[in-house]
Amino acid sequence: MAAIGTYARQGWIRRVMRTPSGNAGAAVSRSGKFPVWRWVILLIAGIYFLLPLYAAIRFAGIKAFGSVFTQPDFGSSLWTSVQIAAMTWAITMALMVPTTIYVHLRLPGMRRFLESITILPIVIPPIVLTVGVLQVFPVQLKATMWLLGFEYVILAMPFAYRAIDAGLRSIDLKTLTEASGNLGAGWLTTMWRVVLPNLGTSLLSATVLIVALCLGEFTMASLNLVTTFPVWIVQTDQLNANISVSASIIALVVTWLFLLLIVTIGSRRGRRTGAGEVNLFSVTANTNTIGES
Amino acid sequence: MATNEVATAAGTDGSAAVTAAGPAAGAREGTSVSLRELTRAFGAARALDGMSLEIAPGELVALLGPSGCGKTTALRIVAGFETADAGEVLVDGKDVSRTPAAKRDMGMVFQSYSLFPNMSALDNVGFGLRMRKANATIRRRKAGELLEMVGLSAQSGQFPHQLSGGQQQRVALARALAIEPRVLLLDEPLSALDAKVRLQLREQIRTLQQRLGTTTLFVTHDQEEALSMADRVGVMRAGKLEQVAAPDELYERPATAFVAEFVGTMNRLPGVLESGGSAVTVLGRTVPVQGGGPSSGAVAVLVRPENLTVAPADGGNGIVFLRTFLGATSRITVLLSGDLQVLVDVPSTRAAAMTPGASVEVGIPSEPVLVVAAEG
Repeated sequence: MAAIGTYARQGWIRRVMRTPSGNAGAAVSRSGKFPVWRWVILLIAGIYFLLPLYAAIRFAGIKAFGSVFTQPDFGSSLWTSVQIAAMTWAITMALMVPTTIYVHLRLPGMRRFLESITILPIVIPPIVLTVGVLQVFPVQLKATMWLLGFEYVILAMPFAYRAIDAGLRSIDLKTLTEASGNLGAGWLTTMWRVVLPNLGTSLLSATVLIVALCLGEFTMASLNLVTTFPVWIVQTDQLNANISVSASIIALVVTWLFLLLIVTIGSRRGRRTGAGEVNLFSVTANTNTIGES
Repeated sequence: MATNEVATAAGTDGSAAVTAAGPAAGAREGTSVSLRELTRAFGAARALDGMSLEIAPGELVALLGPSGCGKTTALRIVAGFETADAGEVLVDGKDVSRTPAAKRDMGMVFQSYSLFPNMSALDNVGFGLRMRKANATIRRRKAGELLEMVGLSAQSGQFPHQLSGGQQQRVALARALAIEPRVLLLDEPLSALDAKVRLQLREQIRTLQQRLGTTTLFVTHDQEEALSMADRVGVMRAGKLEQVAAPDELYERPATAFVAEFVGTMNRLPGVLESGGSAVTVLGRTVPVQGGGPSSGAVAVLVRPENLTVAPADGGNGIVFLRTFLGATSRITVLLSGDLQVLVDVPSTRAAAMTPGASVEVGIPSEPVLVVAAEG
């Protein structure tokens, strides 16, 4: 009887592992086989990422965290960064969403070309971009956050394009727009009711990337003489290192919470409508490449 | 091409065509569609080459042909997604060539799943009504009715990713019908589904189409689908219609060798023309020739497997190579002299003696046969 019971249990486990929902079962059995090196990798990664944070908190001291918010220019620099992020987001979306959709629908042969164009802001150093932009923009805009917003649009383009492009690849854009048109919808209605809602996940990824970029960029802001939050952190660092470090940690935590919130909302929507989930890992990987401050 | 003329005549005279072509009795007054001399080229390739077709009100016409024959292009021109280089599309006698797709009042079911992923089944069906400014109550009621019609009331709140392929295409059908389209366009709607679901949906589409009397153009590369669903089938090849005829006529009296070999299974047997091309000797027997073939030279005779006879015979003209059980009938593959293979269908009850290796005699009845110039 005992033997039969064991056999039956093994059969059940095999069945669970074979079913799509049986992934958990499979993972348990695999981790049961290789628990040691999994934990070692996790531990090494944990030390690599968390130790600097711990050191920074030790260095700054708990008291410094409280006084960050009362520092001169803390609020105004953060508000400037938020405004620039909003402006960059709005311009980037207004430019890149219709362009990418148009290229996908009408000029699919141009996709490769557009991809190479959008890679340029990553290849060209920010200092070159800034000097170039300063040459052509009207003098009234110099050293204003408006100019910085426009520059960030250029910086954000590669990330926004790739996120939107990935979203468009994941849906049958041609059939969906044709189906919508066939049912009597005009172009604007098709965009608003059919295309954009199905790009939700990728627009969210683009948003995450743009916001992370705007809240973290230092070189351009500094060259443009605009005191954004990162610029303020560097300036404060010269006067009071403890405050600067604690402000950095607060910024990190706030940005992280913000990303987590967006990703959670996106994944929930994705589960409901069957759209793809916001991929936290690709998002974090991309923000790492942006991180130049 | 006598069959083509019959088909065109039936198409131009509305009510007569309905009776002649045989759609459902009591179908409501539908819309007629005419495709006139449609030509469309993609670069050097001619997708459509002067194609003309008349569809009578309430009729279901299937366009059948191999991939690349232009059938989908023709459908997309009718839908308004493509424009013809030359020619016109008339709906109830009015040229719609310049009318945008959104204003043509045509319901379309696509080959790939086309439901809007962000909307529930009910909202998908109601989308066309929403575009027509129907209020929410009417929209919901009507969408609900249509979902019930396709047997998916229980799934009305589900999103496309929660539905099976067959269910999605049924919702797509309901969505296309919700706008009470003047013309229903079906672009290989069943090709992504598995065999069983395809069969059920085929019947469902046909029943609904007959009940509503909606003029329908149906594109498919599956001859079984075309023959079983359509009032008339148009066989296309290289941008042209080879023949438009009722399914039985298409099968029994194909107008060209291409139609004969594309629709159903066909044997090609070498023959010798007699008396100036009006008769042909094949398998040792002289039989009359159906009109339209060559009058001299080497010819091949086209005969369907069910039109040949086979019986066990010592020292017969062939040897059984293979026997395939198909249910009520069995298909016997016979090797004739000169490595020529023919397929013969016989009732399974008579197939028992015809095991591989058995000597058999293959014969041909004296019905008129279709003759084409021999290849090579």
